Formats: sequence, C-alpha cells, structure tokens
Amino acid sequence: MSEILGMFQGLFSGFGIAFSLTNLTFALIGALLGTVVGILPGLGPSATIALLLPLSFKIGSPVTSIIMMAGIFYGAMYGGSTTSILVNIPGEAASVVTCIDGYQMALKGRAGPALGVAAIGSFIAGTVGIIGLTFVAPPLAEFAIRFGPPEYFSLTLLGLMMATLLAGTSVLKGLIMVVLGLLLGAVGLDPISGEVRFTWGLLMLQEGVDFVTLAMGLFGIGEILYNLEKALATELVTRKISHLWPTLKDWAESKWPIVRGSMIGFFIGILPGGGAVISSLVSYGVEKKISKHPETFGKGAIQGVAGPESANNSAASASFIPLLTLGIPGNAAIAMIFAALLIQGVQPGPFLINERPDVFWGVVASMYIGNVMLLILNLPLIGIWVQLLRVPYAILAPVIVLFCCIGVYSIRNTVFDIWVMGVFGVIGYLFRKVGLEPGPLILAFVMGPILERSLRQALLISAGSPLIFFKRPIAGSLMGFLLLFILVQIIVTFRKRWRISSTPSGV
Amino acid sequence: MIGVVGALSSAQLKMGSFKHPGVGFLPFGLCIVLILFSLALIISRWQKGGPSTPFWSPRTWLRPLLAVVILGLYALVIETLGFPLTTFIFLLIWIGVIERIHWLKMVSISIGVTVGLYLVFSVFLGVPVPMGFLK
Repeated sequence: MSEILGMFQGLFSGFGIAFSLTNLTFALIGALLGTVVGILPGLGPSATIALLLPLSFKIGSPVTSIIMMAGIFYGAMYGGSTTSILVNIPGEAASVVTCIDGYQMALKGRAGPALGVAAIGSFIAGTVGIIGLTFVAPPLAEFAIRFGPPEYFSLTLLGLMMATLLAGTSVLKGLIMVVLGLLLGAVGLDPISGEVRFTWGLLMLQEGVDFVTLAMGLFGIGEILYNLEKALATELVTRKISHLWPTLKDWAESKWPIVRGSMIGFFIGILPGGGAVISSLVSYGVEKKISKHPETFGKGAIQGVAGPESANNSAASASFIPLLTLGIPGNAAIAMIFAALLIQGVQPGPFLINERPDVFWGVVASMYIGNVMLLILNLPLIGIWVQLLRVPYAILAPVIVLFCCIGVYSIRNTVFDIWVMGVFGVIGYLFRKVGLEPGPLILAFVMGPILERSLRQALLISAGSPLIFFKRPIAGSLMGFLLLFILVQIIVTFRKRWRISSTPSGV
Repeated sequence: MIGVVGALSSAQLKMGSFKHPGVGFLPFGLCIVLILFSLALIISRWQKGGPSTPFWSPRTWLRPLLAVVILGLYALVIETLGFPLTTFIFLLIWIGVIERIHWLKMVSISIGVTVGLYLVFSVFLGVPVPMGFLK
C-alpha cells in the first residue's frame, strides 16, 4: 500500500518539475520537433535525437533535455500518420501500415476521420502507455536491484538478441551489425583493467569512439546521403481536409481497435527490440484477423488506422520502461536517450528512481503533458503541418548536414570529429545501400560495455565457469528463455525454407 | 554486396590479430563470430544466385559523392575561413551544384540559413565557432 502511495507522491512531485516554465517549453519544443520529423519523410526520430545530442550538453539539466528528447520520440509517432494518410508516404517506419488503409480512406474523401481517429487513438494509447510506465516501472526497478553481473549479462544478451531477431529483415545481417557494434564499443580503454586496445596508436581514439559522432554520422549524414540518391520529389497536397471529428459509426468501429492497439503496443513496447514498428504491424494483423469483414482491409477500413496508430504510441511510451528500470535500451531512438542520460551524468538503471527521482518522475509527468500538447497540435493544426511537405528536400538536406557538422564540432571543438563523422556517414550510407540496418549496431555499441563488464565480472565470480549463467535462478531462466527464443526462430526459418523448396514452381 | 561484406570481414580479421592478450578476450571471440556470419551471408547470397541488382546505377552515385566532397572541403577550410563564410559557401555550392535552382533563391536561402544557424549555435548556445579571419 505504501508503495502505491509513494508512486503517487513521486508523480505529484514530477508534475511539479514538469510544470516549470523551462520544462514546459522544452516539452513543447520536443513535441513540435517530433511532429515535424514524423511528417517529413527521410528523417526519423532516431536521426533527430542524434542531431540534438550535442545540444543536450548546452541545454542544462538532465530532466529538461530528456523531456525534450522523449517528446521528439513520441511526437514522431503522431506525425508519422499524417503523411501516411494524405500522400501514402510513411513519415517514419512505425506508420508504414497506416498507409494501407489510411491512404485508401483519403482517396475516398475520408482523410479527415482517418487523421482524427489516428490522433485520438494515439492520445488514448499514449496515455495508457504512460500509466503503465508509472505503475510498472517502480516495482520492476525494485526487483532489478537484486541483479548481479550474471543476471545483467543474460538480460543484455537477451535484449540484444531479441532486438536483432525481431526488428530486422534479415537475421544474419542484424547479427553482423550487432557484432560490429560490439567491436566498435570495445575501442579505447578496457573497462576492467584500463588497458588500451584497438586505437592503432591514435590518441584521439583512446577515449573510445564517441557515441554522438557515431550516431550523427550513421543516422544523420548516412540517411541524408542515401536520400540524396533517391531525390525525393514531394508532391503538393491539395486535398482539402474536412470533418476531422469521426462520426459515431467511425467511433464505434475504432473503439475496440484502439483499446487492443494500446494493449498490444504496451506489451510489445516493453520487450527489448519490440518497439513501435512491430507493434503497429502486429496490431494490423490482429485487427484484420478478428474483423468480421477482413475484405474491407486495404480498401479503407478505419480499424486498420485506429489499431496500428494506437499501438505505436503506447509502444513508444512503454519502451521507456526497460530504459529507466534496467538501463537497457530496446531500440535505436531509446539508445540515443540512454546516451543522452549518460552524457548528463545520470546512470539509467534500477537505481535511477531512487537516486534521481527528479529525472524519473519529471520525465514521466512530462509525457502526460506532452500527449495533451500533441493532441492539440495535431487535431486543429493539421493543415499547417501538411504545408511542411512543401519545404523542398534540396534545402533541408544541406541544413541538416551543417547542423551535424557544427553539433559535432561543438562537443570538443575539434575539426577531427567532423572527419570522423563524415567517415561514419559514408559507412552508414553504404550500410543502407547493401541493406544492413544501422539500428542494431548502435544498440550493440551502447550495450557493449555493459555486456563485457558483466560477462567478465561474472566469470571472475565463478572462477571461469560459464555455468554461473545457468545456476542462478533469474539468470538461468533468462538464458533458458533466450535459448528457447533462438530455437523457435530457427524452426520458423527452416519451415519457411522447406515450404519454399517444396513448392513445385520454386525455381 | 558480396564485395562489401567480404571487405568488412577481412578488415575485421586484421583487428582480431591486433588484440592484446587477456584484454582481447571478448573482442577476439567477436571477430571470429563476425567472420563466420559474413561467410554465412556470402554463401547464402551465392546459393541464391539469381539476378544480382547492380550495386548502383552510374547516375545515382553522383549526388551522394558530391555531397561527401563538399563536406570534406567544409571540414578543410572551416578553421581558416571561419564559420559564417564557410557555411555560406557550403550552402551555395550544395544548392547550386546538387540541386540547381534559381540563383537569386539560392543566394537568399544561403544567407538566411547561415544567419539562422549562427544565431542558434553561437548566440543562443554559446558554442565557440571558429571565426577565421573575420575575427
């Protein structure tokens, strides 16, 4: 009972922090930026947070900068639906499925209700996600305090594996990226003995590869270069949007998809590697399966908009749970926020809630406020956002590149960092060319030090016996789950292959 | 496709041999795993065979390449020419060469963006941007 009371007390103090003028302003800036990048195709939330990492040094308190970054992350989930519905271009990955039925609705002159349902569903689901975060996070952190090195190793490994296997298109490619990320994370001083490795005598590399430089290069520059190739031609949207408020019939049809989407999003969001993209796909699949008229899907079924749009928002809120309670980021955007916390000197993990209650409750409370802001921003002002698509990429691209350059320069005031970023940019571009996702790499880079330290500490405890990961109950069950998960994946893959090869026209 | 992954894995091979005894425990293991994965990927590609799409068509690589060159030049001259001037030139070249739009629009956008970035970084955030000879 006293625990629940504590939560409410925490939440109240959090609202006190979040309602200060600075924090409200930055929550609004975050929500605005998030909406903008959500709408603009070719610039995702991960890239945007990466761009703003250097600024987080200057903004001041950790609470304020995390409030802003969180705003960008969940704001993008709102914005992404807009372009999906109006022009059939997903503003970011989590809105891909919204295109299917959202655009069809727009073609039938029902763009208004589609946008309305997306925004309202997002708001409800986002709030459900935050309520979940409020009540699940503290007990989970309490539980995780007992974790030792073996538990952490198992948990990180499980998180990394699931993130790779669930998120990517190709398991093998994802694994390669994880290994590369781990290796990059190993550059610099060894976490236990303090020895230097992989620097090739370069003094600049002794501190390791800087996360901000890496992230800005891979995500910022890499994405720009890749998009330059395609020369995105943004067509003008002239369709008039009217009747944003859904009719009673729309509302009745989308009520349950929103509820289901919120639930699906929340549970998938907690899982490492789950996140917004998969939850929206799962939600779409579920809605189609249980619908009495599955044939309407793909032809403008409102359920196909309401479910996925709700799911991605509640997943976005839920993915803060593993970050704030275990210190383990589940996707690339959250990994950026993880890095931002570290830059500010805040260690995310089970001790966060007790050691820095201002950060935890301040950010959580700001998310309630941010969701209200986004609802207001998205419903009446949607016309303004659509105009954003008129800004040609020709101008946006060089501005973003310049932003990266100055941002990276500002961290240590050296031009060397601009070079490093440029190199990572080219690498990121090549990765995208060959179909390698940079997401798992950045995750592995962030988790690498945790993984290595816990592995070696655990082995020191057990005097070199790897059995320690299976003998302790929590670590053991995590490992068991990991093995089971891999096994299922293998079976699924082979069954698919078997089916392909057994079809007669398989040549 | 194969070439790039192959090059990556060979680069990693060298890194493996660079390991420090003791410290390189995990990195060395990772290198081996990486090589195995790369091989597996190459083999699976090779087995599938099929129509290999060309890595890039001759026209598409031009714009990214130009962008990288301009970025390199930017990093080269920023300390001597100073932030405002370099940024202005950067925008002029980028918009002029890569995008080719009307020159008046080009110049006004460049000036506007330069001033905007200068205000945000130097004035609001207090980043010590290099001023070059303008100092």
